[in-house]
Amino acid sequence: MVSPAVLFLLFMLGYPFVLAIYLSLTDKRIGADPNFVGLNNFILLAETPRFWRAVQNSLVYTGLALILKFFGGLGLALLLNRQFVGQRLSRAIFLLPWIAPTVFSTLAWWWMFDPSFGVVNVLLKRMGIVQSNIPFLVDPNLAMALLIFVNAWRGIPFFAIVFLAAMQTVSQELLDASKIDGASGWQMLWKVILPLIMPVVLIVMLISTIGTISDFELPFLLTRGGPADATLVFGILTYNYSLESGLYGLGTSVTVTMFPLLALLVIWTLTEIRRDDKVR
Amino acid sequence: MTQSKLALWFRTGISLYAPVIIALLITLFPFYWMFITSLKDSREIFNLQGPILFVQNPTLDNYKYLFESTLFSHWMINSVVIASITTVFSVFVSIIAGYAIARLRFRGASLLAILIFITYLVPKTLLFIPLAQVLSQLQILGEPATLLLTYPTFLIPFCTWLLTGYFRTIPNDLEECARIDGCTRVGAMARITLPLAIPGILTAAIFSFTLSWNDLLYSLAFVNGDANKTLPLGATSSLMVNDYFFWGPLMAASVLASIPVAILYFFFVDLYVGGLTAGAVKG
Repeated sequence: MVSPAVLFLLFMLGYPFVLAIYLSLTDKRIGADPNFVGLNNFILLAETPRFWRAVQNSLVYTGLALILKFFGGLGLALLLNRQFVGQRLSRAIFLLPWIAPTVFSTLAWWWMFDPSFGVVNVLLKRMGIVQSNIPFLVDPNLAMALLIFVNAWRGIPFFAIVFLAAMQTVSQELLDASKIDGASGWQMLWKVILPLIMPVVLIVMLISTIGTISDFELPFLLTRGGPADATLVFGILTYNYSLESGLYGLGTSVTVTMFPLLALLVIWTLTEIRRDDKVR
Repeated sequence: MTQSKLALWFRTGISLYAPVIIALLITLFPFYWMFITSLKDSREIFNLQGPILFVQNPTLDNYKYLFESTLFSHWMINSVVIASITTVFSVFVSIIAGYAIARLRFRGASLLAILIFITYLVPKTLLFIPLAQVLSQLQILGEPATLLLTYPTFLIPFCTWLLTGYFRTIPNDLEECARIDGCTRVGAMARITLPLAIPGILTAAIFSFTLSWNDLLYSLAFVNGDANKTLPLGATSSLMVNDYFFWGPLMAASVLASIPVAILYFFFVDLYVGGLTAGAVKG
């Protein structure tokens, strides 16, 4: 019964995966046959400053976005865990950024932060907060900050809704007991709730880390890797080499360099979760 | 007494309603701005004076432009057809696989579950180049059909993972009772487990549809020809020309592209949240 899924995945995912590793060891270009070149692509990448820029940017992007998504998701989950007027409607609205098509919500953010005509600058100036336009998307640091912000805006709802569901499985008796023992709200969160929902937290962080470090759509639309490579991440560099320059071998090798890191992360997370399951 | 009540109200306002309202504003403003911009004519879009947050002279010109001067209706139809077919196919395959992993005791079932989850983690950016090779060997590179073959590669792993988790939350006893009463395994699955799994199945379906609907990278890499494009690719390639962006039509396209997903989602929001979290928490 599993075989249709397994066969399909073997052919369309397993085989391409192996092919990716093979291609990364060749000089495959568009319209030409691949020649085996060993580790040449990786040596070339190691000597290319742009590659190291992409490594650095991807790590900064992923690290900061994950921190924002974790705390933002936790905060939103704690808010939604309380009773308030309009709670159900708010919960539905808060999920919108996550389900809306990324391409189009990203365009809306760009349009809002457009350096000359964006509404954000207009409003900031009218409120007297700034005198002249802030060069969002033009200044390298601001561009990266905006990229991280939009990624978090999109990701926080998913974190929040999963954290919320996990929190609601924590037994009320346990919380009452810790309250009687004199735990403060913060202590209950950090010492009781979080450790109990750790497996779920780890899974969500894992999915999001891999999605963010290999992200293409958001940086491609918002900044195209610029200005001056300030937001050049793995996905964009691969796109530059392969679809733009036709260097498929070199393009693949960029993504293959991500793989050891991702594999370690997956193995570490899954063993952590298993250990957690056994402890219980 | 009244004073302490007032103080309590004040504290709830600060600690609960203020953050909720700020978060709602940040969540909704981009959608509001998308909608408002789509109704402005190009003079008003670039006019920074006046009440910028509202429309002065609402017009549907941007929407008209999409349908008259671009192949928007083609892109919309392509997106609907491709997202629907890949969703039905992927959910069907995943129901069977998820059910088998959750229920049948065969060797390596738990290992298989982990492996399928791991395949979900293989990034699109790693796969699109070799997939292009495979598609060109199949001699379909450039055609919309490529997306029918490639979208399930990221839909099936997630749906199978989610549905496996969901099937595990449905007690096996029910099915065993039905089988004692003379139901076959397939009969018990179809009559007992599947109806109970509808929230999970709908979640998987909505999720699949949205993921297909949102893709840009695969259609960018695999599809040629303006009429063959999907919505995200069509809109970004035709309305963002070099450094000139047609913001009015772009925002109109964004509104039209977001509406189907939003409707789908608002209809099923409770089921969706329930299904997603059951799968993720127990899976």
